[in-house]
Amino acid sequence: MKLSRYGEDGIRILFGDSINLEIHKKVRQFYFFLKSLELKEIIDIIPSFRSCLIHFDVESTSFQKLASFIMEREPSVSSVDLPEAKTYEIPVSYGGEFGPDMKFLISQLGLSEDEIINIHISIIYTVFAVGFIPGFPYLGILDRRLSVPRLETPRVKVPEGSVGIAQLQTGIYSFDSPGGWRIIGRTEKKLFNPQEAPYSLLQIGDRIRFLRL
Amino acid sequence: MIKIINTGWFSIIIDSGRYGHGAIGVPPSSALDHYAYCILNHLLGNDKDAPAIEVIGGKFALTVGTDVTCAITGARVRAFLNDQPLRPWASFPMVKGSILKVQDVEEGFRYYVGFSCGMNLERIISSYSTNMECRFGGFKGRPLQKGDEMDFKDMKMGELSEVPERHIPSMKPPHRLRIVEGPEISYFTPDSVKALAEGSVFTVSNRMNRTGIRLEAKPLTFRKEADMSIISEGILPGTIQIPGDGVPIIMLHERTIGGYARIAVVAKADQDLLAHLKPGDHVLFEKIGIEEAQSLWKRKQEAINSFIK
Repeated sequence: MKLSRYGEDGIRILFGDSINLEIHKKVRQFYFFLKSLELKEIIDIIPSFRSCLIHFDVESTSFQKLASFIMEREPSVSSVDLPEAKTYEIPVSYGGEFGPDMKFLISQLGLSEDEIINIHISIIYTVFAVGFIPGFPYLGILDRRLSVPRLETPRVKVPEGSVGIAQLQTGIYSFDSPGGWRIIGRTEKKLFNPQEAPYSLLQIGDRIRFLRL
Repeated sequence: MIKIINTGWFSIIIDSGRYGHGAIGVPPSSALDHYAYCILNHLLGNDKDAPAIEVIGGKFALTVGTDVTCAITGARVRAFLNDQPLRPWASFPMVKGSILKVQDVEEGFRYYVGFSCGMNLERIISSYSTNMECRFGGFKGRPLQKGDEMDFKDMKMGELSEVPERHIPSMKPPHRLRIVEGPEISYFTPDSVKALAEGSVFTVSNRMNRTGIRLEAKPLTFRKEADMSIISEGILPGTIQIPGDGVPIIMLHERTIGGYARIAVVAKADQDLLAHLKPGDHVLFEKIGIEEAQSLWKRKQEAINSFIK
């Protein structure tokens, strides 16, 4: 666990340097531990693949105070009760009008559409992070055989429900939004409901299995 | 009741922000000029997190169905109440049926309109702010439209007060933004860091919205050994990201995670100014240490407190 500053009101806590489940387990444990303390000085916590970013209130604490508090409490992080990780099934219509980048993948990867779909549905993915927009799950770890770079120029609008891949990640656009991931299919499953807590279907640590429709 | 006669280019409901849900990707969507928003609530005697209207562009107009106290802060505008010119950054009484009209914006970009009677809106995920991409919060989850009507929440008049001229910030370009280093500053060549840190001129492009402001400039260069992107990670408002093309994007209040190298973060004391960058404006950055940024913020808070009391 490595603490560093992020601007005047952020603390970045780094647990490793790559995308893997061991590092993410530490992130998740730390996130739920810190959340359980319900500190007034903390405005928000953003957990992701290898880090937690803490946004703190500069009026009520400082980097030094909060960082030393966190270092002191570190030994008790592993004692936190973690919520049960749930597994969800997400039905997807692959290819065709719902997967505009499928053709690119076929030519780029030298695989058939069936092979691509079979590889994509063969893994139970872990939710590493939820963000950049509400409810969007960053899922891993994708099979190396499907690894492709993001689009050079992101699309202005990717339709809600689109399933995309980028490098070793796959994800689902929870709303219409700009996006640079390669789109291979679409689901009708609603991922975010602002009217009802906990709002997001998926939380970090949950698991997803894609089903081919 | 408030009735929107004209929306300006663009107007939405905002408040102090939607916090505590960063782990599920919910961004703050807060007022971009937080200082102007706080002063607005102060002028009206409102709660610190009362809803207000954030407007871009002139030709904004509305009328009210009851007597109320109204105020405008933020960008300097030429505003009229039934053709009587109004002072900037001041509260004023509106009688039932009178018309408030903002003719045009003289300095700055976004301005804030609020009422002593509040607005009868529903908090969604603990905030009144509009999340436009996801269409929730604010007024029906969307920008205001001509003819929209909103009820007042209660019937109270505010005191009449105005902000002393010295407490109204300058919003004139060129904008000078102080920055502190970001987590990936070492990804860039010393020349590029110097260009950003020591006053090269950047231009605000027309690719800008509440999510981010894309600048135009000679691209910054990554060191040979540095990655062009990072493993996606949390970001905070004011983060300056550099995508693969080397041209900076200043992130505002609509994203929780980013995948580009974060070269710097705009000092808190200068973040309100980000609300007033408009296409074509020139921007110069100055890199400062974190202690200096903290004391700038402290001074700004003291100034606000001495005035608000």
